[in-house]
Amino acid sequence: MIYLDNAATTRPLDGALARAKTYLTDCYFNPSALYHGGVEAHRFLSEARSALLSRIADPALFDLIFTSCGTESDNQAIFGAGRRGNVVTTAGEHAAIYESCKELKNRGVEPRFAPLHADGSVDVEELLSLVDEKTSLVSVIHVSNETGAVNDIAAIAKRVKQKNPRTVFHSDGVQAFGKLPVRLTKDIDLYTISAHKIGALKGTGALIRRKAYTALPAYLHGGGQENGLRSGTENVFGIACFRYAAEEKFASLQEDAKRLAAYKEQFWSLLDRALFTRLSPVGGSPYILTVSAHGKRGETLQRMLWDQGVAVGTGSACNSKKPHSRVLAACGYAPEVLDGVLRVSFCPQTTQEEVFLAAEAMNEAVRAFGGV
Amino acid sequence: MEKVVIVRYAEIHLKGKNRGYFERVFCVNLEKALKGLRHELRRTSGRYLIAAFDDADADEILDRVSRVFGVHSYSLGYRVPSDLDSVFAAARTVCPQSGTFKVETHRADKRYPMTSLEISAAIGGRLLDANPALRVDVHSPQHTVYLDIREDGTALVFGTFEEGAGGMPVGTSSKGLLLISGGIDSPVAGYMMAKRGMEVEYLHFHSYPYTNEQAKDKVVELARILSRYAGGEALATVKVTHIQEEIHKKCAPELNVTLLRRFMFRIAERVAKKKGAKCLITGESLGQVASQTMEGITSSNAVVTLPVLRPLIGFDKEEIIVRAKKIGTFDTSVLPYEDCCTVFLPEFPAIKPKLSFIEEEERKLDVEGLVEEALTTLERISIH
Repeated sequence: MIYLDNAATTRPLDGALARAKTYLTDCYFNPSALYHGGVEAHRFLSEARSALLSRIADPALFDLIFTSCGTESDNQAIFGAGRRGNVVTTAGEHAAIYESCKELKNRGVEPRFAPLHADGSVDVEELLSLVDEKTSLVSVIHVSNETGAVNDIAAIAKRVKQKNPRTVFHSDGVQAFGKLPVRLTKDIDLYTISAHKIGALKGTGALIRRKAYTALPAYLHGGGQENGLRSGTENVFGIACFRYAAEEKFASLQEDAKRLAAYKEQFWSLLDRALFTRLSPVGGSPYILTVSAHGKRGETLQRMLWDQGVAVGTGSACNSKKPHSRVLAACGYAPEVLDGVLRVSFCPQTTQEEVFLAAEAMNEAVRAFGGV
Repeated sequence: MEKVVIVRYAEIHLKGKNRGYFERVFCVNLEKALKGLRHELRRTSGRYLIAAFDDADADEILDRVSRVFGVHSYSLGYRVPSDLDSVFAAARTVCPQSGTFKVETHRADKRYPMTSLEISAAIGGRLLDANPALRVDVHSPQHTVYLDIREDGTALVFGTFEEGAGGMPVGTSSKGLLLISGGIDSPVAGYMMAKRGMEVEYLHFHSYPYTNEQAKDKVVELARILSRYAGGEALATVKVTHIQEEIHKKCAPELNVTLLRRFMFRIAERVAKKKGAKCLITGESLGQVASQTMEGITSSNAVVTLPVLRPLIGFDKEEIIVRAKKIGTFDTSVLPYEDCCTVFLPEFPAIKPKLSFIEEEERKLDVEGLVEEALTTLERISIH
């Protein structure tokens, strides 16, 4: 199996699993327990917290709330910070942000969606024009999960704060963390990360918060874990995997990004230009290459490829009620382009041989396509 | 006081000399329905008693009995010795705490020292004495307490008559092969035939990879729901992808669906013969879609010799939906996964295709070869 759907989820890293195992089998104690085992688990959580946090932010200025997933972190950000006036976001957000913002309408908060460029990045000038004195929150995805386009969140956050210093700035960094060099600036108040996109497990995520932003309310109420902001017994094993996977990823982050950027371009060069259109920008995330086999159905191609031993993603689940990717439609592509979207997403374990084989399999699948 | 479910059967008593056979099948079906629950099934004259079950299973037993074809009505009640004190104790249990009521007695035991009316009056009187919140209304009471004095010195006491599924015991009217698509109609068609006693086998056509695995899972789920009424152990599936590709490549696009249906019928007939099914069952309703016109039906029938039963032929969509909801298949049917008919759907399907044109277009295809090839993809998926 050539697995090239790493933007959906990744195979857990053997090393991270092995190192974390002790928190499943031996140190399984409740971190809130007051005997030694509990204290040990709690101590480990603190270490993991600062280890993860310090990868992308200054622990003196930021702290980190462990959550159950990226979606939960996004929900806490939107519903915690977007409680009045209006909330400005983009048409290119992951559903966790997009649907949450739509829900804000029912809570008396006006959601505003900034348009996208063709590559999936946000039109910054349009975004800023939507920000006013009543804007309580701006949320901009860091790396588009659909095209790999990168938004310059540091610059955007700075300009948002210039326009309204009281506005909270959040970014969904799920496709950026552990893949691109990230340093959170003081203009960024909240930042979402997720474990299973970098070789750790589903069921673990985190919301990073600038300490000076103290108004964030609790999301789950209960035993007061995570500084009272997210109650619930911590997933110590999941967090241990997260920590060790991040360690592995960050150790070779720059080299991986450079190598995968080359693979990505090589992959594109191997695809038959008569069959495929490229949707991903040049210079976007090296981890994501989105293309379209215009006129063919991506969902069908995806299943044909699976049967050939290649797993790739599509624009979105294709069904008669929701035929196309909302984000790619917002990029302005024609329906026949949207029909045929395939997303190839890499991981550091991807080999050059896999690039050759998968690209050829994609050409073959489109040529063998007999239907509509 | 023994808690029992009283099951009365529907048309079986009409069956004269074959009655024994019908009753045996009915009994087997009841046992099948109750499988896994502790119980005893007893036959008494004209009805069955389910007894010796765990109290906690009572609702589950009633639910399962409600889906057995051939059941006319059923009641949850008590079996007690037929002396007045015992009957009264049970009557108190089934009688509500307030409102109007009457007592209705059926006396099979003609040696019983009181007449039906006397028994009703005696028990009614004692119920009134025991609970001043009750009032008697013999004309239109809110509640009725039923007493059935049996010949074996026992009485059945119950407070409700639930309507059963009716129809005939499944298995008494031969076997049919249902072409089940994942839509709303075909499960209802299967239900209708099972109701008339037909044992149903299931066949589904898919076009993987154009259709997805969820669409197949959905059909398995539909067959599973339907099997609670209609029986059946497995869903047969056949892949028609190559047939669709060939039609798409070589034939007039407006005939896509018409030609595909002829292939489906040919394949279905062969599967039916393998399974011992004596007919095909489809969910077609006249005029509902382009392929369900008289011309469309004629063109499909022309390729098979088995009868094709279309129990929904005269139904409106709304009527079918009402039934699908009642059976419990509707919510699954409307899940948004495409079936093979919608994948290669032409923009303008032929509404009244001429048989001569159809046959002419079909000659462009290796019909026998494609049917044989499709049959090699026959799969059996357990639905339990």
